[in-house]
Amino acid sequence: MTTEPDRTTAGQIAAQPPGEETFRLLIEAVQDYAIFLLDREGYVLTWNRGAERAKGYTASEIIGRHFSTFYTPEERDAGRPAWLLSTAAEVGRVEDEGWRVRKDGSHFWADVILTALRTESGTLYGFAKITRDLTERRAAEEQHRTLVAEQHARAAAEDALKARDRFLSIASHELKTPVATLQLAAESLLRARELGRLDDARIETGLGRILRSTERLGSLVSELLDVTRLSTDRLALERQPTDVVALVGEVAGRFSDVVENEERIRVDAPESAVVMADGSRLDQVFTNLIDNALKYSPSGEPVSVIVADKTDGVTVSVVDRGIGLHADTKARLFEAFSRGDNASHVPGLGLGLFITHQIVAQHGGRIDADVGPDDTGSLFRVWLPREAE
Amino acid sequence: MSGRQKRILVVEDDDTLRETLTEILRDEGHEVRAAAHGHEALGQLDGWEPNVILLDLMMPRMDAFAFRTRQRELGIAAGARIVVVSAARDLESAVEVLGADAWIAKPFRLVEVVDAVDRLFSPTG
Repeated sequence: MTTEPDRTTAGQIAAQPPGEETFRLLIEAVQDYAIFLLDREGYVLTWNRGAERAKGYTASEIIGRHFSTFYTPEERDAGRPAWLLSTAAEVGRVEDEGWRVRKDGSHFWADVILTALRTESGTLYGFAKITRDLTERRAAEEQHRTLVAEQHARAAAEDALKARDRFLSIASHELKTPVATLQLAAESLLRARELGRLDDARIETGLGRILRSTERLGSLVSELLDVTRLSTDRLALERQPTDVVALVGEVAGRFSDVVENEERIRVDAPESAVVMADGSRLDQVFTNLIDNALKYSPSGEPVSVIVADKTDGVTVSVVDRGIGLHADTKARLFEAFSRGDNASHVPGLGLGLFITHQIVAQHGGRIDADVGPDDTGSLFRVWLPREAE
Repeated sequence: MSGRQKRILVVEDDDTLRETLTEILRDEGHEVRAAAHGHEALGQLDGWEPNVILLDLMMPRMDAFAFRTRQRELGIAAGARIVVVSAARDLESAVEVLGADAWIAKPFRLVEVVDAVDRLFSPTG
């Protein structure tokens, strides 16, 4: 199709500045780019080796045909070729990326630059079109994206497995202590009888320990069941007008019955603040938050509960002066089986905040956590909408 | 019984388990004191030297590792035998790090605690 430059031509190229013929030969020889000219209407005027390679047409087959031949029927119907010409004519140059059609009907991913060609006086006489076949690069990029996505998915799965293992180890650790106590308390009663020391006081203490251990086991098991249910289903909420102030007062009162918590919990609230909510589930939310605040702060330090009645809902803030939150912990705080690294010594399954978050979310509310005022302790803020969504 | 009688410090953060352990060891005639964490345990060692310390691993305020470090620094109760009592896995390595003499994995039977203490002082043990 094209004439190979012979030795003489090459000698001439080296000896003198390149002329028009040299450029024509150069362009014709380029294999990696389709470089060709269109007339003002978009009909193909010239063709090069790169164009033949990318699109499959020989020069004689394509010269004189309209360049919309290279576009998919959808792009043609949408007027894409005409739009490209008019844009290039208007602004001088347009770049485009998309699927193009080869002679055999197969598609390739092309990067196209269309430049308007004008005479010195400014009259448009055609367009230069440079097309590059990016199919392989696109496939490589696609493959790279898939690979990265797979790596992310694998890392996430590994993290989930690790979190589950950590959780199982915490759960078994937590379950073993009440089981040990149950065992020992029962054996201690038998031993006391052997030693002839089994009086009423001893029986009462022993049975009290057995009851406390079974209660502890029971609450650990229901926490586990709650998590299983919350991870898969929605809760069946029984919403009715619920006074958050009365509820917070009730929960705080329950904690204050324990001597060491007496006077630790300070409630700051209006007369009442009513929302449409499931009271028993909200009770669980406030119990978890206040329990955490007490558990994670040194004994004697106060815990504040502030209720605020807003136009669209109610906020409840629980503030403590405890061990506080690390920035990296904050993000994972409400996930199941996660717990701050600075909290490993605190008994419990580390599921409380996950359960709390799920209950609040299913009420259409929000919960967030932050470092407490004066950069000490932590602050948990719950917002509940006035009406059910 | 008096030859067997030892001074024992129970260090365990779970209140009910700590009380129960204290009770069963007293039933066996031992002199027992108790602490809820390492910090409280250091307080108990002030002017009182136990023969045995039953030591839980994970506790609030001061865990077993911090307790042992501090105890060594202060040079108190140096002669006490250490028995690690825990539900944690891989107790052997904890025993090594803590320089403990024995370990009991939770949950355990009464006889295991009583035997563990006796064995520390038996002529063959």
